[in-house]
Amino acid sequence: MPADKTLDLDLTAITEESRRLAATIKPGSGKWDVIVVGTGAAGGMAAFQLATAGVKVLALEAGRMIDHRAEYRTMEWPYASPRRSRLPPDHRALAVAEYNFLDRPYGNNPAFAKYKKVESYAGNSFTRNWVVNEKEHPTTGTPYSWVRARVLGGKTSFWGRVAIRYGPLQFKAASRDGYDVDWPIDYDDVAPYYDKVDMLLGCSGTKEGLVQVPDGIYQRPMKFNCAEVQFKRAVDKFPGRRFIPGRCGVTTDGILNNRYRSRCLGRGRCGRGCDVNAAFHSPTALILPARDTGNLTVRPYSVVSEVILDETTGRAAGVRVIDANTKEVMDFKARVVVLGAGTLDSTRILLNSRSARHPQGLGNASGLLGCYLSEHHMGPRGSGFIPTRLGAEPTLDDGRPTAPYIPRFRNVTDKHPDFIRGYHFQGGGGAFEYPAFAHDTPGWGKGFKSSVRKHYPALISIGGFGEVLPKKENRVSLDAEVKDAWGIPVLRFDYRFSDNEIKMAKDMGDTAEEMLRAAGAEDVKIDREMLPPGWSIHEIGTARMGEDPRTSVTNKHCRLHDVPNVFFADAAPFVSGGTQNTTWSILAMCWRTMDHLKEQMRTGEV
Amino acid sequence: MSTARPNARPVTRRTALKTLGAGAGAVALLPWLSEEGLAAFAEVQKTKAAPVLKVLTPAQYATVEALTEAIIPADERSPGAKVARVADYMDLLLSEAEPALRQRWLEGLTALDAESSKRFARPFVRLDVTQVDALFADISRYETAKAPVADPALDIPRNEEPRPKPPQVDTLLGDVGRHAGGRKTLLEEFFADTKQATIHGYYTSEIGIHQELRYKGNKILLEFVGCETVEGRDCPHCGQKAEA
Repeated sequence: MPADKTLDLDLTAITEESRRLAATIKPGSGKWDVIVVGTGAAGGMAAFQLATAGVKVLALEAGRMIDHRAEYRTMEWPYASPRRSRLPPDHRALAVAEYNFLDRPYGNNPAFAKYKKVESYAGNSFTRNWVVNEKEHPTTGTPYSWVRARVLGGKTSFWGRVAIRYGPLQFKAASRDGYDVDWPIDYDDVAPYYDKVDMLLGCSGTKEGLVQVPDGIYQRPMKFNCAEVQFKRAVDKFPGRRFIPGRCGVTTDGILNNRYRSRCLGRGRCGRGCDVNAAFHSPTALILPARDTGNLTVRPYSVVSEVILDETTGRAAGVRVIDANTKEVMDFKARVVVLGAGTLDSTRILLNSRSARHPQGLGNASGLLGCYLSEHHMGPRGSGFIPTRLGAEPTLDDGRPTAPYIPRFRNVTDKHPDFIRGYHFQGGGGAFEYPAFAHDTPGWGKGFKSSVRKHYPALISIGGFGEVLPKKENRVSLDAEVKDAWGIPVLRFDYRFSDNEIKMAKDMGDTAEEMLRAAGAEDVKIDREMLPPGWSIHEIGTARMGEDPRTSVTNKHCRLHDVPNVFFADAAPFVSGGTQNTTWSILAMCWRTMDHLKEQMRTGEV
Repeated sequence: MSTARPNARPVTRRTALKTLGAGAGAVALLPWLSEEGLAAFAEVQKTKAAPVLKVLTPAQYATVEALTEAIIPADERSPGAKVARVADYMDLLLSEAEPALRQRWLEGLTALDAESSKRFARPFVRLDVTQVDALFADISRYETAKAPVADPALDIPRNEEPRPKPPQVDTLLGDVGRHAGGRKTLLEEFFADTKQATIHGYYTSEIGIHQELRYKGNKILLEFVGCETVEGRDCPHCGQKAEA
């Protein structure tokens, strides 16, 4: 039997390159102004903004470099492998049903002993070399499906690409409904940065004039397919509801500022990584261009355990790095530390940075570091079949980087009696490569086969994303006993959905059903179960920003109140998350923070 | 099993693009697409080679061929599970399954033949369509049961302290299709598991994707077309009228 090429992706060269970089970049081998922890959307944007402004940057990536020419297997057919895109037998991805029922740490389950690698639910044939091994990266506490990728670019190689702006409804949510607090900044503070991100990276969408999802600067939008047009005509008749083209961080017209990226070629399947880099992936969109300036040094295999404090000045002196392979411990020094390891890992690094002056972790005088963890609750979804498409010849329906979007319509102009805030739907229809609905189609034989064929072009399916109210009790802390493979204490989750989320989830199922029925869909199926916490991969809030150091961790420029030279590039300072997918806001907020940092470096403030 | 084509000509970038229907212009648009990446999708998997079995005996393989073909048969539009080599896929799945799961599935296969012999005095491979239908009707009742037993794994105790439980994946395909109703007997379980694996094996095959479903995507498109009503025209594909 020939080697299965889909399993034998040769990573030798990129691994060797990573080891070589790690071996040559040592404390003292260079002099850097700023250390950036992480190379995903947050770290990538931070490194790009600083390096292109002439600042000497050291970016520390916990994983290896990525071979963006070989690892994005965009157009691979499932039959390229006899295993049909399933994971190799020594890999195991956690199943949805397992998150709420298996004991934590998930990777410690005796039944998993025989697997070399246990991955989060996001692990699949295409992402398996990027997502972390749960055995090496345990978590404890309440169930949480924490998806992490340790490789250059982090999760941006397989992100969902949905690029929606926060608007005034999010920044001033508390003023509208009296719950919790507003952000200390408003949409007007961030809007110019969203514009810049749209133009730098390319964003596809349409201007709609909706307050809940402010318009951006868009490239060619995605059209609707036939099933979606019929659904749209029904949705748009509901007051306040709109079925609009998805907005996505993909360049559909091309961008002139980047030699690594081409425009969208309409293959779909971008979640495997886009091999022409039309989709935003941090390595090609930000890291490589930043490195081309000569101002950025990237050190892979650099697991940051803590931020080091200079006790005399009270400022951060640098970071402690454990080499992922050699376990060698080394301290890198710089004027400024920017954390972009992702909301939860950045928070973990600070919680682990204990000193006499900061016994609860660096920047945690308020005791709030790790509190107010929020994300989006998911699960309720609906599907049906559009009658006019039943039995039709399939058209090319999925050659797009994103599916349509129904913006939030609850508590925008009206007031829902059962819950505050709101949710949006993503979804769409038509013929996708794999007819997943066949698994729920009863019968066998010719009847079964022709039923699948008949329904194949007619599918319409939508799923909700709802705001999880920020709550102090929803938090992460360091586990007192469990450590990761590098000896760093792991996060203990204490995170639960509240009544508001559960009532909102019920409404999601109800409105999904009423829209599908209004469109005349047949065989309407509504799933009402909520997915496990963390499923959205939109975690925010564990170092929330605010004016008052007693009630917040960072100031409005994402800088620790307690330490003047430590900044966040990721979503840890976000106060509340609306329903919007988080990445585009991370990019815009990071750019804003970096502009502030550059000014502070210019004036000598840091 | 084997997908070996020792005499097959390697697919070059040029032939791959030809397969795609893309012209020379497309090459310039593909700066990072590797030879292998192109070859992988352009490679045509048309094997007539004899199966190299890992788990199944030749007799069991013949039963699985008949069984999967009965679930997704050939018809006027496309070949069925047999020609799509779903039985080979089943053998691979079994070879990589948990030993207990594999054992239970093989017991199910034996039980199927036993049931077939009891009712029709012949093994499953020799049943005619009417007999298969009668047998399947009895072992697939769970699919249309009035109130399917809810999956306890999805009855989420959201705010309760977690309880230790064994891993929940108990089918050959992992999570796929495991929520289709509550099933009880060995044969019902066997049928459900086999049907889900057959669906996956068939609709990920070249025959399933291209001949049966006539999937049109995974092509290089300069622009996504969509429903023509979006352009203000009546759409010839779906018959919908442009909105005034």
